[in-house]
Amino acid sequence: MSAPLISISHLEKVYPTRTGDVHALSDVNLDIADGEFVAIVGPSGCGKTTLLKILAGLTGFTSGTATIAGAPISTPRGDVGMVFQKPTLLPWRTIVENVLLPVELHRRVDGAERERAIGLLSMVGLRDFADKYPHELSGGMQQRAAICRALVHEPEVLLMDEPFGALDAMTRDALNVEVNRIWRETSKTAVLITHSIPEAVFLAQRVIVMGPRPGRIIDVVDVPFGRERTLDLLGSSDFADLSSHIRTYFEVTA
Amino acid sequence: MAGGIIVAAVILASWQFLPGLTGTPSYVVPALSDVLQALVDPAAFPRYLSNAGTTLGEVLAGLAIGVAIGLVGAILLAQFPTAYAIAFPYIVAIESIPKVAIAPLFVIWFGFGMPSKIVVVVLLAFFPVLVNTIHGIRGVDRDQIELFEANGASPGQIRRKLLIPAALPSIFSGLELAVANAMIGAIVAEFVGAQHGLGVLILQAQGAMQTAAVFALLIILSALGITLNALVRLARRKVIFWQQDSPH
Repeated sequence: MSAPLISISHLEKVYPTRTGDVHALSDVNLDIADGEFVAIVGPSGCGKTTLLKILAGLTGFTSGTATIAGAPISTPRGDVGMVFQKPTLLPWRTIVENVLLPVELHRRVDGAERERAIGLLSMVGLRDFADKYPHELSGGMQQRAAICRALVHEPEVLLMDEPFGALDAMTRDALNVEVNRIWRETSKTAVLITHSIPEAVFLAQRVIVMGPRPGRIIDVVDVPFGRERTLDLLGSSDFADLSSHIRTYFEVTA
Repeated sequence: MAGGIIVAAVILASWQFLPGLTGTPSYVVPALSDVLQALVDPAAFPRYLSNAGTTLGEVLAGLAIGVAIGLVGAILLAQFPTAYAIAFPYIVAIESIPKVAIAPLFVIWFGFGMPSKIVVVVLLAFFPVLVNTIHGIRGVDRDQIELFEANGASPGQIRRKLLIPAALPSIFSGLELAVANAMIGAIVAEFVGAQHGLGVLILQAQGAMQTAAVFALLIILSALGITLNALVRLARRKVIFWQQDSPH
């Protein structure tokens, strides 16, 4: 592995509350290589969303270090793309205007950038919906558009916070296949937060298992499957073994 | 649709014939035909129109100023939590005063002309716009704000490209209330002390026991109110095209 793109060491995050301090993250150490796909799983309250928000520069931390490409993270960076649990498209903008938002916040959108947005929409099968409004699309299509929005400014890092949690199981499987393809085609570094163990194993090269109170990393599991993942994988015994191995952590702590 | 026409026909027919059939004097409830006659009376109609113009002018001027104050105030208050915390008790206090009760004071301060009416309309119109806009801005989805922040948006960009458009449905709810309030404000202020306006004509007609004229003036007043409300709803449908099912 070359020098890590994302480097987190001895990260601590403490929230003061009226009933005492809450230790959201405790001694978190994690290196993520350039182009790697990492999934973080854990029950609610394990600090996984806090960790993602720290990477996005949306929230600070108490002590330790967090760097992307050697630069400490303090405020949101221009080279991070974010996908939320909900599509969070703006209903008054067309799909292509929504996709171009991250570009538009920094400069005038030019023809080449519009082309790239249309290209990304074509990649997820939404070419014909570029000029439609979000309310004219299904939930799964909206979330596809949200992924295009996270990629339009060609970020180094793609952060996804339970992006398919609100979708039905079949749409979810189809989108997971698409995320795998997008990751292979764009070679982005991807960090996925999920509470679905199969989703984490299906997509990631490494699964980071987190536990609550205090939020901490309890194991890092290497996923031995190749870069290309297909739905056949879901039925294999290796896949089932790995998933049930990760599940044991949550049976103990639950 | 047919049912609506039948109901309207029954109401209009009752209005025309019941007063005569029940022996109700015309100074209590005039028949519909008497009211219509009073409405189109060539001796009175030009006067009705010019006074309706005065009232409409007060309503529109007061709305324009009141809506502007409400919008700007709400954007500032929603942006600065400290200012909101300080202003909140005063907002509640002003909200609980029956604002038409202050109208006599404004006549003392600003005289019998249009300015005192406009001030009352402003006071009644700005409030629903202020409160609804604040609610709209504060209700914006946390994830959408984080989306803008994660992409390095400035506070001005968040305001222009997210908070204000996202608050538009609430702003229009406030606007509809403001229009209804503005009509009330103008008429009450004219009742209190004025030289022109539909409120003045209603008081004059009442004083002369010309009940048919009172009804005729109320019809003009209702027509103004319905038209303004319809314009706001039309604008709402055009502006908030993504929200097809309006809450009404």
